Amino acid sequence: MSYLTVSNLAKRFGDSLILDELSFTIEKGEFVTLLGSSGCGKSTLLRCIAGLTQPDSGYIQVDNENITFAPAQHRGIGMVFQSYALFPNMTVEANIAFGLNLRKMDKGLVQQKVRQAIARVELQGKEKNMPHELSGGQRQRVALARALVMEPRILLLDEPLSALDARIRRHLRQQIRQLQQELQLTTIFVTHDQEEALMMSDRIFLMNQGRIEQSGSPEQLYARPNSNMVAQFMGTYNFLDAGNTQRWLGLQTPNGVAIRAEAIILDHPSLSFGKKVSQPIASIITEKHLLGSVVRCKVMAENTVLTIDSLNNQFLPKLDIGSKVYLRIDPCECVVLQN
Amino acid sequence: MHKQDPRQGLHLLVIGVVMLILLVPLLATFLYSISTSWGATILPDALSLKWYVQLWSDPRFLMAFGRSVFLCMVSIIVSLLVIVPLAFMMEYRYRQWQKIMDLVILLPFAMPPIVATAGLLQIYAGSPVMGTPWILVGCYFTIVLPFMYRSLVNNLRALNLHDLMDASSLLGASSFQGFMQVVLPNIRKGIASAWFIAFSLLFGEFVFANMLVGTRFETLQIYLFNMRQTSGHFTSAIVISYFVFILLFTMLANRFNKT
Repeated sequence: MSYLTVSNLAKRFGDSLILDELSFTIEKGEFVTLLGSSGCGKSTLLRCIAGLTQPDSGYIQVDNENITFAPAQHRGIGMVFQSYALFPNMTVEANIAFGLNLRKMDKGLVQQKVRQAIARVELQGKEKNMPHELSGGQRQRVALARALVMEPRILLLDEPLSALDARIRRHLRQQIRQLQQELQLTTIFVTHDQEEALMMSDRIFLMNQGRIEQSGSPEQLYARPNSNMVAQFMGTYNFLDAGNTQRWLGLQTPNGVAIRAEAIILDHPSLSFGKKVSQPIASIITEKHLLGSVVRCKVMAENTVLTIDSLNNQFLPKLDIGSKVYLRIDPCECVVLQN
Repeated sequence: MHKQDPRQGLHLLVIGVVMLILLVPLLATFLYSISTSWGATILPDALSLKWYVQLWSDPRFLMAFGRSVFLCMVSIIVSLLVIVPLAFMMEYRYRQWQKIMDLVILLPFAMPPIVATAGLLQIYAGSPVMGTPWILVGCYFTIVLPFMYRSLVNNLRALNLHDLMDASSLLGASSFQGFMQVVLPNIRKGIASAWFIAFSLLFGEFVFANMLVGTRFETLQIYLFNMRQTSGHFTSAIVISYFVFILLFTMLANRFNKT
């Protein structure tokens, strides 16, 4: 039996359908990411699980207990908000102890748990600080400690890293994942950043218009998207229509194929490592962008614009805008689109 | 080199004239309140604090002052007990009704106090509260409602109210506990500001007090009215004492508004 079961969950706000008969299960200790663009229903789903929004129909079950209409304070679910939602009138310590004090726990035990939680998120020395005296990353760690100290059955993270700068974000991603694995905590993480989802998750649920478009491991979603929408969201994919697929790759498909930008090989007289996997497709480089270890080129192949990511090595700088190149595509790297 | 704007002189002149118009009566009243007598001469005959000494040792004045403070405090406490939860609920649960509420709180401005008292005298004729200070508590609620409500709503809007309440309920707090332990401490400056604004407004209220209660419960303004036949120096001392008291309260209100 799964740890969390969500069955036929539906929610409307006025005329707009936010959650459309959603069903899924999550195992104990799993890290699941709800990925999707703004307005796809991921935060509403999270709020329904937390008990902050009532669904119109369907049910939610945690550890064999139906919690669909249980009040938020009795669900045993912890949540970290995008805005941190720290209590401005309380110190770091008081924020973390808030829930424990409401449980009327022994003061000594509360102090011990708070100390542990502060150490866990590496905030020693900040116990007496007020939230406004902390940086964004520190505030988010206080919010995390406040949720963790309650030993929740499920931890919900609603875009917790979106307001932070890139360096702190990378660090916190690792810290959250590490804590989750250490505590074997069932976690649902909401984000619209596919890189974050790929890095952190055991499974990703890609949401679109209130439904789960595709779910699976990060590898599955990245390498085997089942629709145009998923492919577009998960990475830099190129789409070949049925005609080009037939002509260039000799494959017969109803909807064409998707191919990742890094799976197209640039072949040029100066590039001796070209893997000969398909007929060469003549094209011209129209744009070239340096992305650090990768160089992203846009090429015009007949009337189709393709994006190609190549490793930034000694040969690539010779490829200038306007250079004639040949593309080679391995049919095994192509994903046949279902719709 | 910085070139001075020629219009700046004109601006300063306008400000100077307005300040003069506002301050001259006050300064004259002050001067009158500290002069022993001021008759046919340009300047007072002599300066003295005797009118202040006489005023602040008059038990009737002290009682009136005490009554005014008492009435203001009771009215403000009752108003806060009603308006704080009201502003919280409007902001937290019934945001869609906020426009209606904005209209409702303007209603007290639409009715001049003299008209309101005429209506109240008819409605409460024969009622046990008529003629007692308790009827003023209700009237004063309507006076302070717009100011208090606006001040509190602005304070609540500056808070991330929904996330704070959600976070507190996920940590096990009921709505009441969330309100008492999280929201209330964070709007204490708004409450203090509303308190001082309301006090400044109510302390000088005369029309309702005179029409509905009169001399049965002599407040500071009614005392001043009753003393109009006595020495002008003495009434000037009342006015200046009252002004200084209100000035202090207004300054406190501004200070809390800024912080």
